Amino acid sequence: MSTPFFELKNISKYFAKVIANKDVSLSVDRGEVLALLGENGAGKSTCMKILYGLYQADEGEIFKEGERISIRTPRDAMRYKISMIQQHFSLVSAHTVTENIILGNVKGKINWKEAENTIQQLAHRYGFNVDVRKKIQDLSVGEQQKVEILKSLYLDANLLIMDEPTAVLTPQEIDNLMEFVENYSRKGNAVIFITHKLKEVMHVANRIIVMRSGRIHGNVLKEATNEMELSRMMIEHSIEELDKGEDKREAGEVCLSVQGLTVVPRNEFPLLHDVDFDIHKGEIFGIAGVSGNGQQELCMTLCGAMKPTSGSILLNNEDITHLSIRKRITLGIGYVPSDRHRYGMVMDMNLSENMFLKASYSKEWNKNGIINRKKLAETTSRMLHKYDVKAPGPYALARELSGGNQQKVIVGREVEFCGDFIIFDQPTRGLDLGAINNVHSAILKEKKNNKAIMLVSTELSEIFALCDRVAVFYKGKIQGIFRTSELDSQKIGLLMAGYTHQEVV
Amino acid sequence: MLINLFSRAVLMSTPLLLGSLSEVFSERTGVMVTAIEGIFLMGAWAGFTAAYITGSLAMGLLYAALSGLLVAMLYAYIVVTLKQHQIVTGTAINILILGLCSFLQRVVFGVPQSPLTVEPLQKIAIPLLSKIPFIGPIFFQQNILTYSIYVLVPLGYFILYKTSLGLVIRSTGENPEAVDVSGISVSRVRFVTVSISGIICGIAGAFYSIGYLGMFTTNMIGGRGWIAFAICFLGNWNPIGAFVGTLIFGLAEAFAILMQANASTILPNELFISLPYILTIVLTISRKSFNVPSKLGVAYYEEH
Amino acid sequence: MMDKKTRDILITNFFAVVLGLILSGIMILFLKKNPFSVFGILFSSMFRDGYTIGEIFVKATPLIFTALAFAFTFKANLFNIGAQGQFYIGSITAVSVSLLIPSALAIPVAIVLSFLAGGLWGGFIGVSKAKFKANEFLISMMSTYVALNLMNYLLRTILMESKGEYPQTESLAKSTWLFKIVPHTRLHFGFILAILAAVTVWLILYRTTFGFRIRAVGQNQEAARMSGVNPEIIYIISFIISGGLAGLAGVTEVNGVQHMLLQGFNPSIGALGIGIAILANGNPIGIIFASILFGALHVGGTIMGQLSGVPSSIINLMEGFVMVFVIISYFVRRKWEMTRDKKLLMEGNV
Repeated sequence: MSTPFFELKNISKYFAKVIANKDVSLSVDRGEVLALLGENGAGKSTCMKILYGLYQADEGEIFKEGERISIRTPRDAMRYKISMIQQHFSLVSAHTVTENIILGNVKGKINWKEAENTIQQLAHRYGFNVDVRKKIQDLSVGEQQKVEILKSLYLDANLLIMDEPTAVLTPQEIDNLMEFVENYSRKGNAVIFITHKLKEVMHVANRIIVMRSGRIHGNVLKEATNEMELSRMMIEHSIEELDKGEDKREAGEVCLSVQGLTVVPRNEFPLLHDVDFDIHKGEIFGIAGVSGNGQQELCMTLCGAMKPTSGSILLNNEDITHLSIRKRITLGIGYVPSDRHRYGMVMDMNLSENMFLKASYSKEWNKNGIINRKKLAETTSRMLHKYDVKAPGPYALARELSGGNQQKVIVGREVEFCGDFIIFDQPTRGLDLGAINNVHSAILKEKKNNKAIMLVSTELSEIFALCDRVAVFYKGKIQGIFRTSELDSQKIGLLMAGYTHQEVV
Repeated sequence: MLINLFSRAVLMSTPLLLGSLSEVFSERTGVMVTAIEGIFLMGAWAGFTAAYITGSLAMGLLYAALSGLLVAMLYAYIVVTLKQHQIVTGTAINILILGLCSFLQRVVFGVPQSPLTVEPLQKIAIPLLSKIPFIGPIFFQQNILTYSIYVLVPLGYFILYKTSLGLVIRSTGENPEAVDVSGISVSRVRFVTVSISGIICGIAGAFYSIGYLGMFTTNMIGGRGWIAFAICFLGNWNPIGAFVGTLIFGLAEAFAILMQANASTILPNELFISLPYILTIVLTISRKSFNVPSKLGVAYYEEH
Repeated sequence: MMDKKTRDILITNFFAVVLGLILSGIMILFLKKNPFSVFGILFSSMFRDGYTIGEIFVKATPLIFTALAFAFTFKANLFNIGAQGQFYIGSITAVSVSLLIPSALAIPVAIVLSFLAGGLWGGFIGVSKAKFKANEFLISMMSTYVALNLMNYLLRTILMESKGEYPQTESLAKSTWLFKIVPHTRLHFGFILAILAAVTVWLILYRTTFGFRIRAVGQNQEAARMSGVNPEIIYIISFIISGGLAGLAGVTEVNGVQHMLLQGFNPSIGALGIGIAILANGNPIGIIFASILFGALHVGGTIMGQLSGVPSSIINLMEGFVMVFVIISYFVRRKWEMTRDKKLLMEGNV
């Protein structure tokens, strides 16, 4: 029994409203790839941030090779050759690759030429194809991740912690990453991989630790377990299988029609290029693709938040291409945004007021500009009840609710106020399985109500589970529109990476 | 006559450039020093009082620097450490300093019979260089504060773009998380930068009392701290831009003083006094693109 | 009756005021005077007679307006630092109207026009922000100095009194004076106007759709935009209203107190308005009380200056200290809340 490389013992961390970690003990050996598996909110990132010095544990200790060590800041962690790559990259977008990598690692006068050469050579050595003089904002997400990894390699890290690294990659890029992880660990380094994706875990990890509600619920070798068992360890209650509903051939009449939609900002690459598709009533139409390939722009143009350069959008045969957001809301377009904190809710307002965000232009709740607060509160209470939202009442602040409950409120609001067409943009991102299930039920219910639904998602399992048809986006273009039954994850992965319809089918 | 105008312009640019240069550094880390007007005033008072009491202008400058440092540290404490709102805090401190300077003036000097004065900074001609026709008298017959900016501008540019310190400063204002994760304390970078700004702005304020007029009144800064603040914006957070912006304003101010001195003008005095302020408004509106540091004004919460 | 958050705010602000006064007391020691006796004079003099009490409300009146002005745009996450300049513009308008219409008719006309004039002066800032994305903090700051110079120029020329001795206007005809609401004091109708304005602003912000939109834009501009609100229009309208409110202070001071316009009067009501708005956390009703507090400090401070030889600049000092402590108290409150919650969690789980 050799001493583990790094070990966390009895770590506990309390935040103001939640216990993030309780009595967490885990260790990793040299040359080992450890997966930290669990749903969103299980506490995986927290204990790793403690190991990296970004958080301070309230209880517990950290050991390196049997010796007790103190990690108070990332500086300390770096001294012990620990490196962490976060979910949201901590890179300075306006700076170059070189500037980002040498940040904190140089002293005094900078010889830019020399620095660039050194970093470029390092990149070559690991087979990373990046131009170190480019600015981060000009790189693709996959390339940005490489820069993050390069920074760790520059620091000669022996323990690499990666937080949900595959969230923004295509299936092929994920394969590249896994290859790197295997090579890196074979050199005697350790990797801790935080994820909520069962498939990846079985692919690359040597050992798996399952966390749930801030505690450890499982610590097994890959060979000794399987996906079913891991899934059971991850979640508390069973999730009922959802009934997708009959796959009607031509479901209802066309509700939304997008023709030749193009968005080209001045002197830059087109964000959307000649996008054509129709969505029928009673249909769930999926938009698949790696984040950042035009999905956001598509949602924004459909809502009215962005003006297309050319093309048209028809809602129930009416041309809405140039209508304002307000008009489109009146016409009944619902939108559940991907970033609810930014676009969906005002966190410091109460739930009643957040409901009013959508309703403020209709006469029902305001008479001559004065808000009918009583009626609004009643409607809000009813909605909270209907969507099973755990909240003290309509006057609770949005910020007080959990992420899952906030999302339920937004889904409820959009569904209750929308007309025929509703957009769900990554509606289950960051939610625990219970909340995910809730949102999926709501979506399927609206399908039964004969609404036209557009579902944007980066989770292939979600696309396959819910959608009737799916369009795959790559660099602003549609690579193809298929019935979900015609595709599998390999084919869709290739489409997401830029292969055309012909090459794949 | 033209030489006089330009020479005056360079002179009047001095405090503006000191102020805007220090503001560039602070804002690059993400902190707007909205207490700048108060720091200028504090420096002007402390500089004058120390110079009057000790008879030494050098002492005056020293105390101006110290007082600027103290005020800046108070501001930095509230804004960086306690993470409170930058504009609100700056306003509070400006009001406080205004009261404080009036009050201290009374405490120290009582109610003087006649206005108190000191001999302001002398112009020192640099040998040889000051003999160059036209340029000589304009740039090389100035006081030491003005000479200091000839050094500070290139130095500032060098630090910001060619050293590791500059890289850290620039990164802090763009994405403090990137700096935090690299193991550098964001709070420390901001606190220290703002404090040093305080030193420079204190000296800049003293320029008005002991560098130029030789006396102190509570309204002598009259918004010039704010103009330095504006120049940082208009100069695009760049030492060279600040330099250019300052010269324009210095010229405007010198022009205004010239116009006021010649009483036979059709246009009213007040128009000339307003010139710098109107200019700021026009430039603020018309400037198309800005390289605002992304996280300017946003407090950063480290967990550790 | 009162929720926890409001209770916390009242408690911490009370202590902030006390601390501010204590620190000012310490400064008084430097003058070799006894702070206790000085403060004793301060407090007793405030209430010494009806006239003085009336003065408190007279002083509070313009502060209510400038505080409302700052708070209104603050709710939209905009910074109108130019209330002082908008006040000057309002004053110019009020005095011009009153000189041209030397009768009671001047009052309603002055009220309307001063609001409009201040509104236009402020609206310019709003348009700059909306159309050009200009930094409103800088522009509003600069606009005050322009307004000041404009006023000084007019006082020297067009508006100047016929005697031509001082840069000030003629005295206004008695019929244009705002009528007194309490006899034997200077307390005038302007105070009622201020209260009405505060209540109206409260109603607008918290009971109307428009106010809702302002607050939504202020708290989350992007979410507001996605819900159909046009932030640019909100910017413009809130600056117009804000400027108008500050402009109204011009009427109250010109027609209610000075009965003329001269240089250098009420030089810091703009900045003090900001302080009061902060102290009251942007709440219009709280602003009324905070303004009365500052008015009281002002009145007491002036008398204190006359009687005890402590200079009146001690008032600015007190106000400044109080403001700084109020800001620090925001931090203290948040820390309390977090520690309290965290402790509950830790104890509940052992």
